[in-house]
Amino acid sequence: MVASEPPLIVRNLRKEYRVPGGQPLRAVDGISFEIQKGECFGLLGPNGAGKSTSMNCITGFYPATAGEIRLMGYDVFREPRKARQWLGVCSQEDTLDSDFTVFDQMIRYGTYFGRKPEMVKPRAQALLDRFGLSEKSADLVESLSGGMRRRLQVARALIADPEVLVLDEPTTGMDPEVRRVLWDIVGECRERNLAILLSTHYMEEAQRLCDRVAILHRGKILDCAPPQQLISRQIGEEMIEEEIRPGVRWKRPSNLEDVYLKLTGKRLENESER
Amino acid sequence: MTALGAIRCVWLRHFDVYRKSLTYGIVTTFAEPLLYLFSFGFGLGSMIGTVKLSGVELTYRQFIFAGIAGQTLLFQAFFEAAYGSFVRMYYQRIFQAIAVTAITLSEVLWAEIIWDASKATFSASVVMMIGIVMGDFSRRGAILALPLCFAGATLFAALGLLVAAKSRTIEEISYPQYLLVFPMFLFCGVFFPLTMLPVYLQWLAWALPLTSIVSLMRTLTLGTPLQPQVFIVIIVWLAILVPWSRQAMSRRLIK
Repeated sequence: MVASEPPLIVRNLRKEYRVPGGQPLRAVDGISFEIQKGECFGLLGPNGAGKSTSMNCITGFYPATAGEIRLMGYDVFREPRKARQWLGVCSQEDTLDSDFTVFDQMIRYGTYFGRKPEMVKPRAQALLDRFGLSEKSADLVESLSGGMRRRLQVARALIADPEVLVLDEPTTGMDPEVRRVLWDIVGECRERNLAILLSTHYMEEAQRLCDRVAILHRGKILDCAPPQQLISRQIGEEMIEEEIRPGVRWKRPSNLEDVYLKLTGKRLENESER
Repeated sequence: MTALGAIRCVWLRHFDVYRKSLTYGIVTTFAEPLLYLFSFGFGLGSMIGTVKLSGVELTYRQFIFAGIAGQTLLFQAFFEAAYGSFVRMYYQRIFQAIAVTAITLSEVLWAEIIWDASKATFSASVVMMIGIVMGDFSRRGAILALPLCFAGATLFAALGLLVAAKSRTIEEISYPQYLLVFPMFLFCGVFFPLTMLPVYLQWLAWALPLTSIVSLMRTLTLGTPLQPQVFIVIIVWLAILVPWSRQAMSRRLIK
């Protein structure tokens, strides 16, 4: 790879879905960003904003309508094998292989990256230890709780020692405890210099984990900056006063949610004016 | 990793699942053809005696063994590909999990077809082995028939994968199963010579792939005269079904 090139580059990504007998549906409309080593980049947006579509293009699973995606210097569409050699993916859906035990699952997944089973065994064990799953090593996936399954899916994404980690809404539907464990793990991956792409619709999660956040709305990035910078430039540093119940008002520091509502809410107003 | 290495890697995944539940594998792979063999070969066979096929006199057991070898290819490959790949694609999401690693969806789908075909070939070769042991098949013919088995199994695996790709729910697989697979099983010369049928049904039967596979199977193992059209029918079906099934499954998964 080019020495100075960031691990993940997304340039003018556009994705349109075929609609039988109708206009193609534009889900992602020309987004661009780069993720550096050791950086966690958040894609923040409501359901239908284009987060999952973007993720599916970035992993090379969906072909892009236009634009370029480079992973570790390789074009993900032209050289998927070379590019994805460096990629770990935890998709939004549960894609664990229910025919294998927790441990075998890890080993098996390693073989999809051309790793010999003997070579990945120590790493699989270490990951299962770290993710608190070693006691479940010999169990089938179906005996795991939802939180354990999600942890296993993230652990599995790390089996081939990726440089880029893609996490598509990893904490959706998880209880606060599991969410906290996953947050710690994302932090550790960042410290180990992985480039992380995280999609979420939890403002708190984005604010806590991400070095930079892009606000995605109807397939476009409305603004992109470190969370604090986004807040100060969109809202300002002042306290927000809001009425939480009729007659009860309180003041709190402004947060990403305010930025988000301001950006997307404004959009909606503009459209209704037209 | 090469493309072949990638396909092998996914093939091994399916094989390991099969191997892990070996009892299940053996029962589902072998019980069914054996039941047909014994019921029709020994039961009905002793009642019927001999069958004349293009001037060649065969015992009914010989006749039915070759037919059952063909039917085994159809059932084993179609059901593994239709139901098995539907489960792997829809419920387990295995295709989606593997197609974001160093392996591409195209390779995953090749592995799927080749696995389904291997399993069916394995199963049909056991039927032929029994045919050899019983003295009904020539050994040389059975070995020569192995490439035919694999080609036939690939054809039916592609049919199954196409059905899996086009079925919205697992229940919908029943339509082609009852309207195409079972009619092939019953009317493509497995149980009786096609000449017993009205001419228009013979033509219909010859258009379906199982007829040619069973006919060529009998030519190779029992020495009945070769019907040259069998090659055309098998090749045309393969050339249609393999690319179509792969494209249909890709389209279902990749938006």
